[in-house]
Amino acid sequence: MERTNIRRIVVSGALGAVSAVMAVTPLGYLPWFGGASLTIMHIPVIIAAILEGPVAGAIVGLVFGVTSMVKAATAPIGPLDPLFANPLVSVLPRLFIGVVAWGVYRLFRGKLTPLAAGLAGAAGGITNTVLVLGALGLTAAAQLSGTFGVSTSALPAVLATIALTNGLVEAGAAAVFTSAIIAAWKGVEGARGASRLSDEERRQP
Amino acid sequence: MKGIEFFRNVSIGRYVDVDSPVHRLTPVAKYLWLLAIIIPVSISGSTTVVLASSIVALACTMLARVRVGFLLRGFVPVLPLFGIAAVFQAIFSWPGDTSAVLVAIGPVSLSLRELLAIASMGLRFVAMMLAIGLFTSVTTEGDTARGVEDLFAPLARLGFPARGFALTIAVAFRFIPIVAGEFESVVKAQAARGADFGAGARGPIRKARAYVPLLVPVTIRALERAEALGEAMEARCYGVGPATRFVRSVGGYVDTMARIGAVTYLVMALASPSLLGWR
Repeated sequence: MERTNIRRIVVSGALGAVSAVMAVTPLGYLPWFGGASLTIMHIPVIIAAILEGPVAGAIVGLVFGVTSMVKAATAPIGPLDPLFANPLVSVLPRLFIGVVAWGVYRLFRGKLTPLAAGLAGAAGGITNTVLVLGALGLTAAAQLSGTFGVSTSALPAVLATIALTNGLVEAGAAAVFTSAIIAAWKGVEGARGASRLSDEERRQP
Repeated sequence: MKGIEFFRNVSIGRYVDVDSPVHRLTPVAKYLWLLAIIIPVSISGSTTVVLASSIVALACTMLARVRVGFLLRGFVPVLPLFGIAAVFQAIFSWPGDTSAVLVAIGPVSLSLRELLAIASMGLRFVAMMLAIGLFTSVTTEGDTARGVEDLFAPLARLGFPARGFALTIAVAFRFIPIVAGEFESVVKAQAARGADFGAGARGPIRKARAYVPLLVPVTIRALERAEALGEAMEARCYGVGPATRFVRSVGGYVDTMARIGAVTYLVMALASPSLLGWR
């Protein structure tokens, strides 16, 4: 199937659904130590951008953002959820994830495909972290200071720390997933060979 | 992974099947009112505007015969957050705060401006919850997708692909229960083969790699379904000839007034603080 308008529509819709399901169920959150969790819900956005271009990436980003906003407004669970009910925080930053990921993928496309996909995934994850934290800092400085227990002037330092620790790890996870999915879809062996379940032992050939 | 749950019944928002003046509006009118409430609540700095929008949202909820408690149910677990934020507002004073001091206990004082800030914070969230929850309660999934197309119809004449956009959303809605079922069956299948999804793994990269056998199959299957759907649409000549639709929603006099009312409210809410000098 060549790249047609229909293909862009259905791929965006399908990946938008994947992102929405990951947002409203516990599936989108990888448990990490310390009670925090890594989110992987931006991965379908990156995939859409790589496979179908920046417009598809922006649309899936829009679906992701709106879903997280609706979820924050109808079923909030964490302390940061009320802040995500603001579309400037939940929707606007997510529109750019796909665009950035597509740009990075285009840059490196000539080289090894899984590597290019991994870099695009990392770039998308970093975009998500930086833009969302930036939007939070700009719109809700007072509430964030209250939640973290610091004064408003110390807030940028706190956000920067979160961006570096949580953000870099999320970028790494996004790179892993993106390169695995793109490699599987394009029929290319992944960077480390086919994936395996964590309990299987490596067999000797 | 935690217990294997049944994801098949996942839904975003709940439709309440009741007949009310709000339910009878066209999707475009509902969208316009949603935007008329959300936009001022998100970006306006004026407490009065936020309060007015909250009252409007409350009025619409009661007009739609949806119980307010139903929509605000999710607010309860978040109350502690506002309590903590309120305490911190009281402890740290704004520089140059000259408003009347309401309560003073030793070095900690709560001024009028701080009280307004706390109330505004809470009200913003309540208004968002009411508006978004109400919208999902009065709008069916089909109407949500069709409403998007109707909403952008004026732009379609300028080349904006309103039909394609609305179709993407409709496809996403239709795929959500399917994808959720896929997640569930992949989780069970991999667990039956001894996968633990990184429960004991150290290091985030290793944990992430353990999730790969879940995420990759589900995404690939979703993409394959998308391809099949696209071929089916092409086989039915989608994209050739003018776009037609089976369900058309035509509003009457009340609906047109509602649309005009929404736009008027939005403009007034955004413009009045600067024009009238409200705080």
